[in-house]
Amino acid sequence: MPVFKTPFNGYSVKFSPFYESRLAVATAQNFGILGNGRVHVIDLSPSSPVINELIAFDTADGVYDVAWSESHDSVLVAAIADGSIKIYDTALPPHSNPLRSLKEHAREVHGLDYNPTRRDSFLSASWDDSVKLWTLDRPGSLRTFREHAYCVYSASWNPKHADVFASASGDCTVRIWDVREPGSTMIIPGHEHEILSCDWNKYDDCLIASASVDKSIKIWDVRNYRVPVSVLNGHGYAVRKIKFSPHRRNLIVSCSYDMTVCLWDFMVEDALVGRYDHHTEFAVGVDLSVLVDGLMASTGWDELVYVWQQGMDPRA
Amino acid sequence: MSMRELVTGGAACAVSGSSSSSSNPLGALANALIGSSSKTQERLKEIPNAAAATSHTQFYDDPVAALPGSELDHPFLQSNAQGSDFIRGFRTAHDNGLADAWDEIQRQPHLDRVYNAAPAPPIQPTLDGPPQRVLSSFLHSFVDSSRSGIPLHPTPLPLLGLSQGDKQCIRDRSSIMARHFFADKSEEFINSQVNALLSSLEIDSDSHAKGPMPGRFRELEDYWNESQGILKPGAHAADGWVTEFSQHRAQHGDPDAWAHSFEQQHGAGGWASEFEQNSKFLQFVSKMSRGELIIDDNQVKPASGSWATEYQQQFNGGASWADEFVHDEVSHGPAQWVNEFATEREQEPVDDQWVNEFSKLHVDDWAEEFGRQVGEGALGDSSSDNWATAYDEFLNEQVASKERSDASTGVYVFSDMNPYVGHPNPLKEGQELFRKGLLSEAVLALEAEVMKNPENAEGWRLLGITHAENDDDQQAIAAMMRAQEADPTNLEVLLALGVSHTNELEQAAALKYLYGWLRHHPKYGTLALPELVDSLYYADVARLFNEAAQMSPEDADVHVVLGVLYNLSREYDKAIASFKTALKLQPNDYSLWNKLGATQANSVQSADAILAYQQALDLKPNYVRAWANMGISYANQGMYEDSIRYYVRALAMNPKADNAWQYLRISLR
Repeated sequence: MPVFKTPFNGYSVKFSPFYESRLAVATAQNFGILGNGRVHVIDLSPSSPVINELIAFDTADGVYDVAWSESHDSVLVAAIADGSIKIYDTALPPHSNPLRSLKEHAREVHGLDYNPTRRDSFLSASWDDSVKLWTLDRPGSLRTFREHAYCVYSASWNPKHADVFASASGDCTVRIWDVREPGSTMIIPGHEHEILSCDWNKYDDCLIASASVDKSIKIWDVRNYRVPVSVLNGHGYAVRKIKFSPHRRNLIVSCSYDMTVCLWDFMVEDALVGRYDHHTEFAVGVDLSVLVDGLMASTGWDELVYVWQQGMDPRA
Repeated sequence: MSMRELVTGGAACAVSGSSSSSSNPLGALANALIGSSSKTQERLKEIPNAAAATSHTQFYDDPVAALPGSELDHPFLQSNAQGSDFIRGFRTAHDNGLADAWDEIQRQPHLDRVYNAAPAPPIQPTLDGPPQRVLSSFLHSFVDSSRSGIPLHPTPLPLLGLSQGDKQCIRDRSSIMARHFFADKSEEFINSQVNALLSSLEIDSDSHAKGPMPGRFRELEDYWNESQGILKPGAHAADGWVTEFSQHRAQHGDPDAWAHSFEQQHGAGGWASEFEQNSKFLQFVSKMSRGELIIDDNQVKPASGSWATEYQQQFNGGASWADEFVHDEVSHGPAQWVNEFATEREQEPVDDQWVNEFSKLHVDDWAEEFGRQVGEGALGDSSSDNWATAYDEFLNEQVASKERSDASTGVYVFSDMNPYVGHPNPLKEGQELFRKGLLSEAVLALEAEVMKNPENAEGWRLLGITHAENDDDQQAIAAMMRAQEADPTNLEVLLALGVSHTNELEQAAALKYLYGWLRHHPKYGTLALPELVDSLYYADVARLFNEAAQMSPEDADVHVVLGVLYNLSREYDKAIASFKTALKLQPNDYSLWNKLGATQANSVQSADAILAYQQALDLKPNYVRAWANMGISYANQGMYEDSIRYYVRALAMNPKADNAWQYLRISLR
């Protein structure tokens, strides 16, 4: 299974929605505490288990997250630790990049999510307690959602309702928003510790999962959010990122500071269906390919990006 | 290649030995050595092992590979960020660690990469190289300290030349990240780790830094209220929940609309004025309870003339609370409440004189606390926080003192100034009072009894039941424990203990007592298996009780226990079914109605719950617990004004019902 080594600590990995074998990796020096950053765009080669780097963009501060545009196959956005969001085009030479730098957040931008239905807008989640809505063509944000009381770590669009999204924050809540509304429409005080990631189920628009520093992942039904549908325990440390599978209704993948990537089926009694412990440092980024069923990628602070098929050993 | 050459630089293999600083003294030594740059080269030559990666890698499980290398293939972009020498050093200098060098050599495929790296001119002399390495490895050890569990010690590091911006970044980000790694450690541990990092780097932990979030946990009701404040309450259809949500909105699409609606909701002054009104409201309430104000003919009249002047002093200037009270401009909880109770006073002259009860409240408890808190905080100070924080402190004290008195394995706390001490037959008196429904008085009488006869199981038992009905689970458990000590096989005691522990969400303890009930029961004792005692699993206990129910379906008690058990496992539908069965057998058991109501409320069937509570109250009008529960159910449906009424009723009967205080505070918001 192919492996890619980055010079800096990995922070996030995302599959391209246009090319089956293309991924973007966000990395930051010194674990993102101080130093530079780099965005890598890498390609899996069809024949051999080798990953080639297509292009890389250096940044002045760590890159915490990256997101592919759903409207242009060569465009991606990067969340930078200095509070800016940079738009890159892989089709242009390095000296023309970044296309634009959007500097509005007062603190680090920690999460990005591109709207898969509308395809024109994306969200940024920042440590300045706010979430901002942007489009590629405008120089300023369209909306700012400021209700959380602490860092917002992640924002995620609902796959069915184009204007609904959820945000996960260190104030221990997940808030659900509608961009047409001034304030949040629902607050789920899901955990007693910070919530680092949230994601919607791709097949059931009412199910949302939250991952927390308390090592658990909870699945919620927004119609009855007092009690979680399911609680997934099994990680030994904070769960950093979760993603619902685009191909299987009940499958969810998670990566954690316990250095493992886990696969869960939350409708089953014994939910943990797979565990990969290939990383030797915190596993902080994980993604499932929309184009290829079962293809997954993960990255961690051990500066490695693994891409493998579900069920196989990533280190093979 | 000699060490010296490695150090002075060359194609891409500079040296430093601080690749693996750690609490390993050798590593710290290496750091210190490298830091004192002048003697670096020579010392390295003398102590090659100190700089070698190998001795340290074992400590770390190969972190060396994880060190950020700095093979730079592409030139960096212009940045507008930190702009310190330090960072520039990061960007341009080739500062590979010696460890990296070793690794590069060992890992053949990468060797090419190293030597083919564009030989960027080392802008910074090697002297600055090491500080980057030092910082990298120090940060690395900070991160690793989470895994190895070894606390980070403040290590004196050489001057690293960090700019203010750098320092702020390090400080903020490391403290945020630390909170993620060290989640299960205490706050002090996290702070000490971060401080160790910061002090080593000579960064002050500034108060402006992004510290932990203040006031972390709010009640579930708070969030529900916040949501409800935005939406109108209503059941959501299975599909299209999004459209339903949006239907409740006034306008769409207009970016300013929300700002206007916010203003409408909270008055031109914004949310701050809301809190100010709150505190004024509390002053009003406290005055009322002290008899300074009288509600007469739907108007507030001062009891004495001095109120008017006081009022003037407090509400100096501007559209004030009083105006809003009259005009009801602001749809604000407390203001509406005041209106409501004024109108209610008019409508219901006979029954439900809770206003009078309100003013009859023991002034010591409720009103004075509020008055004091308000006096300390909010008087003349428009800051909203004072009232809220003062009250928070008050509640925290309550909670803390409760916890100090050792939660549910409780030590029973006797009341002071018990008038029944010395009474010839306090037990009988207590039973009478209980029957009459004067629960607080019954408590005092029963306390006198058990003070006289500490082994009286019946006394303790009744005391426990009284406390439970008074909605004081802590004392109930404490009393029941004493009853159990006095008589270990008393079934009612065991059942009551099971219920109380269920209320306190202590599953293991609850199971223990419910199982004990089974074991000591003359009929079902055979079902109990002795080996289960040590490791009680919910599933086993539930199964046994189901067997008991099959054995004798006419026994209401078994159904009651089953209902409690299902509550523990949150299978609310089954619990409701069990309680209903029990009620068919014992329809006049008021506490059973309360249990049914509570189960229904927990499973979000608040409307049904209210009906059940009403039944309980019809059977026993002074059932404090049911009053409080009614309040909760109303609050859950967003009917806050109604809920306040019920809470106050409960508190009037038992000012020591701490839960009711909390709920009241929430509804008042």
